[in-house]
Amino acid sequence: MARSGARAVGTTITALDRQAAGVSPRGSRRWSSIALVAPAVLIALFVVGGGIGFSLVQSLGLLPLVGEASLSLDAYVANGDDLARGIGLSLAIATASTVLSCIIGLTAALVITQGRSTGRLVAGLSALTIPIPHLVGAASVGLLLSDAGIIPRLFGIPGTEWPAIVGGTWWIAVVLEYTWKESAFVALVVAGVLASRVARYDETAALLGASRARRLRHVVIPLARPAVIVSAIIIFVYTLGSYEVAWLLGRPYPEPLPVLAFRLFTSITLTARPEAAAVAVVTTLISLAVVALGMAALRRTPLWK
Amino acid sequence: MNSHHPARAGLAASLTLGLVAALAACSAEAGASSEQSYESWDEVVAAAEGQTVKLWMYGGDEQGNAYVNDVLVPAAAEQGVTLEQVPIADTPDALNRILSEVQAGETDGEVDLVWVNGNNFGTGKEAGAWECGWTDLLPNMALTDPADPLLLDDFGTPVDGCEAPWHKAQFTFVYNSDTVTDVPSTLDELLDWARANPGRFTYPAPPDFTGSVFVREVLYSVSGGYENVPLAYSEDAFAELTPTLYDELTDLAPSLWRGGETYPQNSNELNELFANGEVDFTMTYGPATLTELVADGTYPAGTKVLTLDEGTVGNASFLGLASTSGSKAGAMVVANLALSVEQQVAKAEPDVWGQFTVLDLDQLSDEERALFEALPSSPVVPSYDVLSENANPELAAAWVTPIDEAWRAQVLAR
Repeated sequence: MARSGARAVGTTITALDRQAAGVSPRGSRRWSSIALVAPAVLIALFVVGGGIGFSLVQSLGLLPLVGEASLSLDAYVANGDDLARGIGLSLAIATASTVLSCIIGLTAALVITQGRSTGRLVAGLSALTIPIPHLVGAASVGLLLSDAGIIPRLFGIPGTEWPAIVGGTWWIAVVLEYTWKESAFVALVVAGVLASRVARYDETAALLGASRARRLRHVVIPLARPAVIVSAIIIFVYTLGSYEVAWLLGRPYPEPLPVLAFRLFTSITLTARPEAAAVAVVTTLISLAVVALGMAALRRTPLWK
Repeated sequence: MNSHHPARAGLAASLTLGLVAALAACSAEAGASSEQSYESWDEVVAAAEGQTVKLWMYGGDEQGNAYVNDVLVPAAAEQGVTLEQVPIADTPDALNRILSEVQAGETDGEVDLVWVNGNNFGTGKEAGAWECGWTDLLPNMALTDPADPLLLDDFGTPVDGCEAPWHKAQFTFVYNSDTVTDVPSTLDELLDWARANPGRFTYPAPPDFTGSVFVREVLYSVSGGYENVPLAYSEDAFAELTPTLYDELTDLAPSLWRGGETYPQNSNELNELFANGEVDFTMTYGPATLTELVADGTYPAGTKVLTLDEGTVGNASFLGLASTSGSKAGAMVVANLALSVEQQVAKAEPDVWGQFTVLDLDQLSDEERALFEALPSSPVVPSYDVLSENANPELAAAWVTPIDEAWRAQVLAR
């Protein structure tokens, strides 16, 4: 009964999808569906397209604060070393945060979908994490783990002997903060996907005699893969472009791309604005490349339809 | 910077071009700066009635926030002007906002007044961010000394009536006398002390305002005094004088907190390290706030001001009036009010904010002078006369960015 109801809803959604995508055979319906989507698309175009376009034009020296506009790549070259280090550091932070979040989040999702009380506890914790802003998370990590933080004080460890978690060479606090928040995100997204499909297949596989390990490898993980890839793309692109956590918990040098961009943007040197825009454009290009790679990986998963 | 819908960027290209063209058209009008059009103070006062003035200022100083909100705001309200404080993390945020508004041709911008000085003022003046030639109208300007060099030039940039004086500041080193027994008396000795006591000294990373002036103090010291550093910037002087500076700071780095591997990102972080006893020195442009910090137990009881034989840098800070402000008359009324004897005395009160006055005591009546003389003396901070003895001038603003950037490249990134 419940299952047939779900199927009915599923059919309606597919029909709507088709309508929205303009696959409907009749032209008039197609136009009306475009008209329905238009406001959302226009707003997205205005913000995303306008922002990127504005940065691009500024980074090419066409919108200077003072002096003549002239087309040049100076802004991209001006901070060559800082930019290169920033790219490396940002990629490292984003990769570490994404990999850790996906591993922890997937594990949590598996615990959640087991449906026992531990699962409910993990689901509850994940859901609690989501509404807390990154800024609050970063401030908390700083208060707890810096060398004059609450934890070293609680254990009576002097600041000089406490490891440099905050502001240290390895950006541990930054990755920890992202992982804490984003693994909860992965857990909820993946658990949502697994909950709708996994029980049926898992039971079938179990009836056919598959062991736990085999079921995990051949049923659960393949089912979760598209959701994990999508979450990974979002986390990677988010951590690559996010400013406040890296600024609060990081160190003054080297700087991740958003911190570099913001420092240049607010620099009192008038020529620094195009340089800031150049860093933003580079960040956007990397994000686009990562999204393209991620989508390619997604298309290769057999369950992505 | 986050682009969660980048797939659409390709489709957006043509539309973006149109949008950018429109934005570019807006910014073309930006050059037209509005001359202030008031002939007399009465006109200003009349026009100010009912205006709302947004004062953008560094929000990290609780006493400063309290002074503005509890003392200045009610006084402005009595004159018919609604004053609102906009706390910001750093003054360039305000300048940046004005410059964006200048670029967009805004005439009723979000920023009216800014607590500003130094290179923020200089750069803003260059880019048309400030309204100029208005301070002559302020009646209370008569209470200042017209020949006071600190009020005529701001880090080498002529003030030209583009900002009204607010208070004076003296760069000051602060130490914990419980742990520092062999007290240095020159900057050179201070650096030697840091070498002899590894991990107990550090400074904020420029471009932090305080870290930046520390580096300039070291430049004076390694050059044999401020007399040997030309105040106006030139590439030759930079090339000649700064190698010694960076050699000194690079040599010092391993003796600093965390082995100079990293630096506090701003003066707040340094202050926290000092408050936690992780370092024995801190430094500030606003020594007057120390009294309160010791009294409430934030800083150790042994906190003392370190006066150097060769003196330290002194400057004045100002209230700048944004060229994009739509409440210029109201802003002038606030700037004039801030210069009144009543407000300057209140602000100098150590319990309130403890900022040094810009007024010339010789211009005041006996009763007014008595108000300043009646201010309580602090057990921690010597009076302004003592602090500003041998005060060094600030280098021109054009020096600041090259020094800070070379510091990043040569000391921080070493």
